[in-house]
Amino acid sequence: MNTHIHRLLDDAFEGVETTAESRELKEEVRTNLMARSAELEASGLTSASAAQQAIDELGPIEDLLGTSGRSEAMSMAELHARNKVRPQPGFVVRTTLLSVGAAVATTLAVLAGFDVLSGGSAAVLGLGLAAAAMLGFVTADSLRQETSTNYPMPTARAVGYGLATFGVLASAASFAAFAADTGRVVLAIVGGVLLLAALGLFSWLGATQTNRHKQWVRTTTAGSGNRFERDEDAAARYGIYSGVIWVAGIGVGIALSILFAWWWSLVVLGVCIVASMLLLATMLFGSKAKANN
Amino acid sequence: MTETDPFAADLLRGNTDTIVLGVLRGGDSYGFEIHKAIREAAGGDHEIKEATLYATYRRLEKDGLVESYWGDESQGGRRKYYRITDAGRAVYRARVAAWVATRRIIDTLLNVKESA
Repeated sequence: MNTHIHRLLDDAFEGVETTAESRELKEEVRTNLMARSAELEASGLTSASAAQQAIDELGPIEDLLGTSGRSEAMSMAELHARNKVRPQPGFVVRTTLLSVGAAVATTLAVLAGFDVLSGGSAAVLGLGLAAAAMLGFVTADSLRQETSTNYPMPTARAVGYGLATFGVLASAASFAAFAADTGRVVLAIVGGVLLLAALGLFSWLGATQTNRHKQWVRTTTAGSGNRFERDEDAAARYGIYSGVIWVAGIGVGIALSILFAWWWSLVVLGVCIVASMLLLATMLFGSKAKANN
Repeated sequence: MTETDPFAADLLRGNTDTIVLGVLRGGDSYGFEIHKAIREAAGGDHEIKEATLYATYRRLEKDGLVESYWGDESQGGRRKYYRITDAGRAVYRARVAAWVATRRIIDTLLNVKESA
């Protein structure tokens, strides 16, 4: 292990203000420099000159820390207008037709289920699966579209979401068909398996999902947040005040109900709701100027 | 030769973001590995400075095009890995398409012959 790196890195970061960001950057640079100097040492350099060359190749530290401040003050509406992406006409037509088709199929399936239409459980299953397939396609198709705020999802992932949606709806169709004809246990089994598979797929997709927001959305939402997110003390105080209001309200409500009539508790409930709303309004929005100081 | 070098380096540097996204498309990677991949592809003639790359990672992460995470403890510390996001893939595809289109225009304007 090359120990020269640590000394040279400390020298390089001397005078740089220690922040969480600069410390993290230093650690990141350290492991990469060690890998580079190991490579140089393998090519025949001494450990001291390998470390020196690795750090020379890095360039000036200021360049690493140099922040590109691209902060143009624009309102959310202006940014939205500038980044507007219109939906594709073909997509709008497809989605509308398929949604209507799914609604019709679902309605017919319900009618068949209540024996208004003939066909029984087979009709319920068939129509239900048709609706599920159409809505699954709409899901995948929507995720593939670029919107004003999001980039399109990669095809494989969008198809995954479409399949998972189909799975959940198809399991509902199977259960509905089973309800129409409880003699066919296989329908319930198929429904259960489909539901589990679909939930598993949803979980996997959710756990592996990465960012899809566009840059302008990220920069406008970063750093905002309401008062409770910025000021944890205020959030804690709000919780305590709410607790006091409701405990007192319940106590008074019970006492009044016993002493006079039960509907007094409704009056107390109303007072408590009003008090909670006023408390929320004053604590969350009221002292904006004070919170910003 | 000495006159063309800064020009070529500028062109390369102008596409640093897209190049890094391209490397990460092949799988998660960390600074040294990304730099090495670029160095080897460039054949040692022109390379992108490591300092530029660190600034690029930070910008890409701020824009949500890559995500970072710390790897397991190896000898001497932990590596910071980068992963391309779905937004990053979309931006990469758009930039490559723009590059291909622009290259054709510049080739035409500069009268570049394919075999020249």
